[in-house]
Amino acid sequence: MNKGKIVSIHSFRGGTGKSNTTANLAAQVALAGKRVGVVDTDIQSPGIHVLFGLDENKMGKTMNDFLHGKATIREIGFSVGENAVGGEGRAKLAGQNLWLFPSSIRGREISQILKEGIDFNLLNEGLQKTITEFDLDYLFIDTHPGLNEETLLSIATSDILIIILRPDNQDLQGTSVTVDIARSLDVPNLLLMVNKALPKYDFVELKKEIEDKFNAPVTGVLPLSFDLADNASNDLFSLRYPDHEWSKALRGVADAVLATG
Amino acid sequence: MKSDILNQLQKTSMFMNLSEEALADLAVKASTRTLEKDEVLMRKGERGDSLFLIHDGWVKIVTEDSKGDELIINKCGPGETIGEMSLLDGSPRSATVIALTASEVFELKQDVFEEILDQRTDVSLAIIRSYSERLRFATTYIEKAIDWSQKTAEGDYSFVEQTQPLMNDSASNDDKAAQLLSTFFTMVRRVKEREDGLKQQLEKLTIEIDQARRKQEFEEITGTEFYANLKEQAKTLRQKRAQG
Ligand SMILES: Nc1ncnc2c1ncn2[C@@H]1O[C@H](COP(=O)(O)OP(=O)(O)OP(=O)(O)O)[C@@H](O)[C@H]1O
Ligand SMILES: [Mg+2]
Repeated sequence: MNKGKIVSIHSFRGGTGKSNTTANLAAQVALAGKRVGVVDTDIQSPGIHVLFGLDENKMGKTMNDFLHGKATIREIGFSVGENAVGGEGRAKLAGQNLWLFPSSIRGREISQILKEGIDFNLLNEGLQKTITEFDLDYLFIDTHPGLNEETLLSIATSDILIIILRPDNQDLQGTSVTVDIARSLDVPNLLLMVNKALPKYDFVELKKEIEDKFNAPVTGVLPLSFDLADNASNDLFSLRYPDHEWSKALRGVADAVLATG
Repeated sequence: MKSDILNQLQKTSMFMNLSEEALADLAVKASTRTLEKDEVLMRKGERGDSLFLIHDGWVKIVTEDSKGDELIINKCGPGETIGEMSLLDGSPRSATVIALTASEVFELKQDVFEEILDQRTDVSLAIIRSYSERLRFATTYIEKAIDWSQKTAEGDYSFVEQTQPLMNDSASNDDKAAQLLSTFFTMVRRVKEREDGLKQQLEKLTIEIDQARRKQEFEEITGTEFYANLKEQAKTLRQKRAQG
């Protein structure tokens, strides 16, 4: 019944690269031959759907409707493999088993959901049903920054939690609390990933330092890159520029996800 | 005297394929010129119709900078050749040449040279051969330079180690293509050294986590009823998943 793994991507601060990382990781894992789903929790701001080329005007029903029993999960899943157009990187996903599930569990709506009694078990059942219906190996969830209740729900249900951090002390401080929470909620696999690392740092040293501090594996140190800033929100960067340092390091993170038992 | 000329002609790349006997023929037709210090051997823009071999002394090759001041491009001494190409194409001199010291040079005139080319097909052929050989070398060097440029752009410096012994014997003076490659190589090595130097200066991030604050924030989050419930439910869920 519980074959597929739930992978949550989180960061303490906003703009750390969750959406870009989630989309690229999901794409890499799909290219490795896995069946992959992505829950997009961010329809308002340019989020994952943009990276996968889904027009928000064409988005109909969302995960919320599904959770409320107002839609079937089949109605919500958007097949990326069948709509791999409008980007050189995206085109490489043609024929792959990758689906996007738009949702809008955020802000005002979360309190509404809680009021209406969508609790942890209901969310969890919904995610499990998604996995079963689409026979998924991995279901990625792009969360919101900070530790609000919605994020806590995602962490609690995760088999794998990837925490993205920028290498500065403010982020490390915030990340330390998330690490403690993940341990308190018994997340089986806790992976760290550094993004937007300035080239002035020694990446090998950085990885070691952070691993020592948190006693968790740093699966990749991804550089701050103008190429990415220029390009990323239009296409899947790691597919379009596979030889770029950012892409190479990202594939290392994908390998770590695939390697979790 | 003529044997000096012969010796020197032999070392000139243009004539390297000529037989002793053909070279001797050329040497006989060359004339000797003595220059006083500061005497002008040729002027920029003049029609070039001869080749000079420096036998003794030093000359400077100069041009003008944008302000009209003299700019020394190079200095040449005994054994070096000036204006080799002019023998064939008669193109205007690209720079002015002035004697730095009292000097003695051998001059081979274009008309004399052409006369020999007319009379002796073996000389003509040898010259053509030496040119095509140089062209072939130049092409190989250019290909090498392209290959190295691409590697350098990708940050792959592995060729520097492999090529080191090969580039140590400095290229002969009249082989500009080899000089280009040699200079290019030196440039890449310097760039690599600077890059290595920079790498060593990489910074280390000093991580400081305020443990008291960390604990306080953790307790704020986990102290709610919502969290207590969630933790309980998560625990049950994980047990259920573990059982499959
Ligand atoms: N390594 C990087 N180098 C340069 N720019 C980056 C890098 N990673 C991400 N970015 C850029 O930073 C911005 C934020 O990225 P992204 O939207 O993926 O972050 P996010 O964590 O999902 O943000 P939010 O918290 O707003 O949802 C984007 O413009 C993206 O192109
Ligand atoms: Mg985002």
